[in-house]
Amino acid sequence: MHLLARFYRQEVRNSNVLFSLGLYLLGVAYLIYLLTGNNTSDAVWNTLLWVVVFFGTVQLSSRSFEFESEQYFFYYQNIATAKQTIVAKLIFNSLYMIALSGAAWALFSLFFGNPVYSTGLFIIGLLLGAIGFSVVLTLTSGIAQRTKGNATLSAILAIPLLFPVLQLTSALNLQAIVGVELADATNLIGALAALDMGIGLLAYLLFPYLWQD
Amino acid sequence: MKGRIYKILGLVLVAYSLVYGLLTEIPNLPIIEQSIRNLFYHVSMWFAMVAMMAASFWNAIRFLGTDSLSKDTRSISLAETGMFFSFMGLFTGMVWAKFTWGAWWTNDPKLNGTAITILIYLAYFVLRNSIDDERKRARVAAVYNIFAFVMMIVFIGILPRMTDSLHPGNGGNPGFNSYDLDNRLRAVFYPAVLGWILVGTWIASLRYRLRVLQS
Repeated sequence: MHLLARFYRQEVRNSNVLFSLGLYLLGVAYLIYLLTGNNTSDAVWNTLLWVVVFFGTVQLSSRSFEFESEQYFFYYQNIATAKQTIVAKLIFNSLYMIALSGAAWALFSLFFGNPVYSTGLFIIGLLLGAIGFSVVLTLTSGIAQRTKGNATLSAILAIPLLFPVLQLTSALNLQAIVGVELADATNLIGALAALDMGIGLLAYLLFPYLWQD
Repeated sequence: MKGRIYKILGLVLVAYSLVYGLLTEIPNLPIIEQSIRNLFYHVSMWFAMVAMMAASFWNAIRFLGTDSLSKDTRSISLAETGMFFSFMGLFTGMVWAKFTWGAWWTNDPKLNGTAITILIYLAYFVLRNSIDDERKRARVAAVYNIFAFVMMIVFIGILPRMTDSLHPGNGGNPGFNSYDLDNRLRAVFYPAVLGWILVGTWIASLRYRLRVLQS
């Protein structure tokens, strides 16, 4: 809990990060709007939304451990165990990415209209997708941090690992757009939830090995 | 002598599958026709690749448990060998696809899985090169290796079952028992898989010894 509050304060203090991310979302959404002129099909809408969220989260996560320079690294080791750190990071990043994908959805609705038929199902997809993203990205940016500030490495490591999550999420959200009943989508929801839990557990188990010198 | 038995066995099995794969009788299937013989040369590459990657994954786990650097050296040697098999599988598959489906590359779950696998392991090699300290590199690489292998299995083993594929015997099922894998094919295919895994183990052990000598 302490850690969560700390991460939050750190984020607020460096509000330029948040600001640049918001500007990125707005800029890209408007760029797409200019180029397509408001007549995207549902499948394209969904694809574009997830591509925008994808690059936004990769950009965000490359900063996830940015402040943990050598001094911060030792500082955290003193105030918390590796397991507490990873759990706090996972929760914090999940919330952050849920907010990010929600904001992207809102912007897309503003510019292109909202084609989503089953809103509940879409939100489930958004939540599960954002959690999956944050698990993969938290671990890979933790790995990248250990290589001493190689910022592009985080993206290189994360992109191929994100594909399974991205594919399931976009498939689920496409079903929500088309308007599939909740009962018919349980297969995909279950797969995505199981994947999230599996990789979350894996990240939790592996992080202590990473977080030592 | 003990170490030689598996090498000789591997060579014999591979030679048998290469030669007899061209001679054996095959079931008469439309479209696939003679190209079904690619089962021996193409599919066996994937089995060998998964075996190599799984062994690399296992050595990464053992490194985290024991902290002995030789496990890490084994892990990277096996991953490199697996990478070699994945490229071989890709090329044999592309040639086959050109003649059977009419295109070098199609948007098929298995092909996407291959592309992702190659990207994941290339990233693994990049990661290793960017850390200088031996122990730290071994630890960080092992963490990525374990995570990446699980993701790869999800991507190539589970997701294709939820979508359709153009591959023979597919449509929800990436296994191949559903098409006409009769006993004549099995008699060549299983020895080919075993032979390539043994030869792969040999290649990996040579790379391992080379690395030990270099360090």
